[in-house]
Amino acid sequence: MSTKVTINRLATGVPGLDEVLGGGLPEFSFNLIAGPPGCGKTTLAHQMMFALATPERPALFFTVLGEPPLKMLRYQQQFDFFDSEAINHSIRYINLANDTLAGNLDEVLRRIVSEVEAHSPSLVFVDSFRSVVLASQTQDNPNNNLPQFIQQLGMLMTTWQATTFLIGEYFTETDTNPIFTVADGLIWLRQSVQRNSMVRKMEIMKMRGQPTLPGLHTFRIATSGIKVFAPTAPNPVEAPLEFPIKRLKMGVPQLDEMLGGGLPRGYSLLVAGPSGSGKSILAATFLAEGARNGETGVIAVFEQRPNHSQNATLAGLIQSGQVGLVDSRAPDLSIDEIVQLLLSEITRLKATRVVIDSLSGFELALAPTFRDDFRESLSRMVTALTGAGVSVLMTSELEDRYTDLRFSPYGTAFLTDAIIVQRYIEVESRLLRIMAVVKVRASAHSDQLRQYHIDDNGLQIGEMLPDQEGLLGGRPTKQSSGAVRTGDKNV
Amino acid sequence: MSTLSEESRQIVASLAHRVGPDADIARVAQAIVSTLQDMDAALTPIIGPQGVAALYRRSLQLCTCAHPRLAGTYDRVQAALDLAALKSVLVEQSEADALFFGEVMLITFYELLTTLIGPSLTARLLRDVWEPSLSDTPSQENSP
Repeated sequence: MSTKVTINRLATGVPGLDEVLGGGLPEFSFNLIAGPPGCGKTTLAHQMMFALATPERPALFFTVLGEPPLKMLRYQQQFDFFDSEAINHSIRYINLANDTLAGNLDEVLRRIVSEVEAHSPSLVFVDSFRSVVLASQTQDNPNNNLPQFIQQLGMLMTTWQATTFLIGEYFTETDTNPIFTVADGLIWLRQSVQRNSMVRKMEIMKMRGQPTLPGLHTFRIATSGIKVFAPTAPNPVEAPLEFPIKRLKMGVPQLDEMLGGGLPRGYSLLVAGPSGSGKSILAATFLAEGARNGETGVIAVFEQRPNHSQNATLAGLIQSGQVGLVDSRAPDLSIDEIVQLLLSEITRLKATRVVIDSLSGFELALAPTFRDDFRESLSRMVTALTGAGVSVLMTSELEDRYTDLRFSPYGTAFLTDAIIVQRYIEVESRLLRIMAVVKVRASAHSDQLRQYHIDDNGLQIGEMLPDQEGLLGGRPTKQSSGAVRTGDKNV
Repeated sequence: MSTLSEESRQIVASLAHRVGPDADIARVAQAIVSTLQDMDAALTPIIGPQGVAALYRRSLQLCTCAHPRLAGTYDRVQAALDLAALKSVLVEQSEADALFFGEVMLITFYELLTTLIGPSLTARLLRDVWEPSLSDTPSQENSP
């Protein structure tokens, strides 16, 4: 039997935060919430406070210099979590402005301690702690010793079994602030501004005794409060590939044939082609075929207006609820937010087929700050989705460049399990379309370049063009003519 | 003042309760001042003494704007949240005038706070002040 102390972890009531913290907030910990003005520190504190405070174990919120409490109450009320009935019941606000103005930290400490002793709170907040620090600096008072104050506060709060939060503005991380040493947890909130976009990010710089998720995590503030988009945990027991491979029908029989019998279940498929080559139609057919077999699907649309979806089939499927639509108009999306939107739709519908249409639109929907890491983001998304067991079809706009054989503009081809490429070719003054299966991981597939056309029933795949060669160069020549131009030869 | 709201009726009733059956001017003045003291006691721990003083001054100013006849009398006490000064002015008035001022002042204060932090939180914070069943000292812990 273990005789080690068990540290309870409190559920913060902030969606996603418990995951980022590594399982919740350690009870009786002494924490700092830091960040520049307007980054959501006070909101985060309030949301946790309303979630955790009970009449038996109330919360004390000390307001020091800073945001006037009247205003704070006025604005915090706008959030759904704010409950007026809790005030003076499970939540008490205590104003220490005068004590702080006097600049005597001993007196501030005495006030805090006497209130804590009177109410035995489970949670203590000091907002903003920055002003305590400033007050101690501006006063010419030899008794003011900030490190000692923090040390004592931390010790006393933990002894009184209170989980404590100090809220402070714009500390710089490089400060040798004594509070960084004393604090058990450092929650840093940031606003990353790039051009016209602003993304809120949170970092757990320190949380004693538990494995936090490293790095910056995006969050949003809505009327429901703060929502943190924690990265999806990798599925530790991903089902190994089963043989024989179970395959999904694409809705185009000839294409199933080319894929070696359909798309293996749980695969990610990239459909790359130039504008107008029928990628979205193929994606809609893929979902419709699923619906025909009683499967549900999810589509994330990033470019076409969903209400103006040209594809009547798709519109019908969305209408009937067989396909869920993820159509986030929120600006400045992060990859984790999109993945979370997708996963929640997948869970809700028990979906097996997922379409991302298209990666190009997806890249534009991402906040500029994430575009540099687009490949990495994409890789995480594909992993998260296939880890959830669904089959994913992604479309990718491919600039027609006949001098190279790239399949995706991001060098992302290696991320997917299967690739279909579409191309335009010029034959006898007509623009024809050809399609080929480039890759199906661990499966035999066709190596044919097949001509296809699009009609009211979708993609119709025809035959190869055996008498033409140099198709991928876009300007094939008759094989019988024997004249192969150098430019076409080496593709 | 337009039709009295539920809260206004409660404030008027509470004030009447504090004045009691034999309304002399001393009792009226005491009732008004003690109500303000209780509001002060309920609000100061939360919004600080400066916050309460600012609300008090703004309420006085709104009262004298809405009822110009009060202006001459009460302009003198606007300087700060000095309830002793207020009381000394009140006892010079007739009972009816003082009571009228008291009702207007308390309702204005209440409505001002409502515009800032909303009706439910205002009601929550000041609930104990109006409780007629309670004794004149509220159950709120005292401000420092």
